[in-house]
Amino acid sequence: MLRVPSRIGKRTHVRGCRRQAPAYHLILEGILILWIIRLLFSKTYKLQERSDLTVKEELIEEWQPEPLVPPVPKDHPALNYNIVSGPPSHKIVVNGKECINFASFNFLGLLDNPRVKAAALASLKKYGVGTCGPRGFYGTFDVHLDLEDRLAKFMKTEEAIIYSYGFATIASAIPAYSKRGDIVFVDRAACFAIQKGLQASRSDIKLFKHNDMADLERLLKEQEIEDQKNPRKARVTRRFIVVEGLYMNTGTICPLPELVKLKYKYKARIFLEESLSFGVLGEHGRGVTEHYGINIDDIDLISANMENALASIGGFCCGRSFVIDHQRLSGQGYCFSASLPPLLAAAAIEALNIMEENPGIFAVLKEKCRQIHKALQGISGLKVVGESFSPAFHLQLEESTGSREQDVRLLQEIVDQCMNKNIALTQARYLEKEEKCLPPPSIRVVVTVEQTEEELVRAASTIKEVAQVVLL
Amino acid sequence: MCCHGLPVGGSPSSPGCFVPLIQKTGGLLLTAERGGRMNVGTAHSEVNPNTRVMNSRGIWLSYVLAIGLLHVVLLSIPFGMYIFLHTVKGTPFETPDQGKARLLTHWEQMDYGVQFTASRKFLTITPIVLYFLTSFYTKYDQIHFILNTVSLMSVLIPKLPQLHGVRIFGINKY
Repeated sequence: MLRVPSRIGKRTHVRGCRRQAPAYHLILEGILILWIIRLLFSKTYKLQERSDLTVKEELIEEWQPEPLVPPVPKDHPALNYNIVSGPPSHKIVVNGKECINFASFNFLGLLDNPRVKAAALASLKKYGVGTCGPRGFYGTFDVHLDLEDRLAKFMKTEEAIIYSYGFATIASAIPAYSKRGDIVFVDRAACFAIQKGLQASRSDIKLFKHNDMADLERLLKEQEIEDQKNPRKARVTRRFIVVEGLYMNTGTICPLPELVKLKYKYKARIFLEESLSFGVLGEHGRGVTEHYGINIDDIDLISANMENALASIGGFCCGRSFVIDHQRLSGQGYCFSASLPPLLAAAAIEALNIMEENPGIFAVLKEKCRQIHKALQGISGLKVVGESFSPAFHLQLEESTGSREQDVRLLQEIVDQCMNKNIALTQARYLEKEEKCLPPPSIRVVVTVEQTEEELVRAASTIKEVAQVVLL
Repeated sequence: MCCHGLPVGGSPSSPGCFVPLIQKTGGLLLTAERGGRMNVGTAHSEVNPNTRVMNSRGIWLSYVLAIGLLHVVLLSIPFGMYIFLHTVKGTPFETPDQGKARLLTHWEQMDYGVQFTASRKFLTITPIVLYFLTSFYTKYDQIHFILNTVSLMSVLIPKLPQLHGVRIFGINKY
């Protein structure tokens, strides 16, 4: 046997690249190298919808700029305002004339309460006026933590969080939980703050008829059918129902027991906005949940502003700890606004003290509401819109004249004449172009505990007389 | 490390090690956007930081080092990268844009959907280079060739701009 020459042996141990690579491989490598070169030379570009380039150009041609300051009629209400001197308490001085206040949301009369004012003054002397910082940046004072604690204890929830502006409370709370792709079922009569919160959340909004549980169930059922068609999408979609306890725009109460039933049936979360019902409804003023006797843990988030019954500024949300805690980083109005001035927080704490000490005022308020509600029935031309126990209700024209401006003018005439007779009323104002479902024009009447029975009777008769004169 | 044939090391600013290679190919087209500006732990105005992760300081070097460490288990690298770039969607943190990127993979989120940026080019070229090295290593054996080519294609094809946002058969859609 011939000895294998060592050269051949050496050759087989040489590095593998010497063995001829298969042809397809070389072709593939060539393609890949060409691809790399193409990649290195390609420009960056943004993906665009290539379909409607021509449509864009047409739109640009057609566009006409609107004036920066649109023409406004001379009698626009924002240009002719009434001037109030002094506090808007039980007697309010409007344009130099002292009237009985039926317009400010001072339900429990705490605006002028000497104890509340003393607490605010003491806090002013201790802390100064403002906090000059958001909650996360040296803006958290002991009064804030105290107020949050007190509110949580009062509402019997685990935790509460304070916002420094009532409008921003619900408008920050909704987008903190509801994002793109989530679904929110909301009442048509929801207030403007809720509408802005929904707009900021970028979620799918489904409106149901005011207080119509059948309509809501229909929408929920439709959504359930959609979910069954696409279970993977349904699994990542969150569902919310947003309602108000007492609606600002209509003075009606939401049917909370049915809502809780629907919540558990269709697996949606309830956000309850209690600005008008906090400190008004319920045996101790805890709101709609106490009024109906519903367990507060059934409601996922309660949001209210402290600008009505509590006669302070700002708002709060309360609920389970893990729900409220999320807003400490995700609530835009909480993280990125200066915190509530300490004097207002101290005033709110004192107001809570008063509410806890005299639980009888809620029954008194309810009785007064019923009284004036009854007294205002049967006015020719005006109808009362709202529950009998709602302290803020509306007087709408029984028959609209056909144009909103004319209706507004008629109601303004009634308001002006009542003002001449020393009853201060106001019309419910809306940003007419911005509201989703614009309510009809109305006069909003507010009842407070400080109004005496004679004053209520006098107000009712004044409105009756004036309405008869104006509406003939 | 030397078997990669790349000069690794030098300054902590990651792309430095790639500069010689790029200048050799004559295209100074990996522009100056790379290497910058995700300040860790400070406030920034970036709505979705996920889009700039691949541009941040040191990330390219870390990527190469991680590949080197996983070099032992060669096939796991494209598999791992595929999971992180093209399977997992959304962000691990909350973003102030109300969940715009909830249904987008990391690749689709990079640079807010702008195609052919520096990081995207880098992440496309690296698997190709790895592929060359692996096939060189496995001596062009047939079975290895098939496996490597399939894994390369599975990593390259989702990176095409035509497949931005495409979910085949609705897999991974929600």
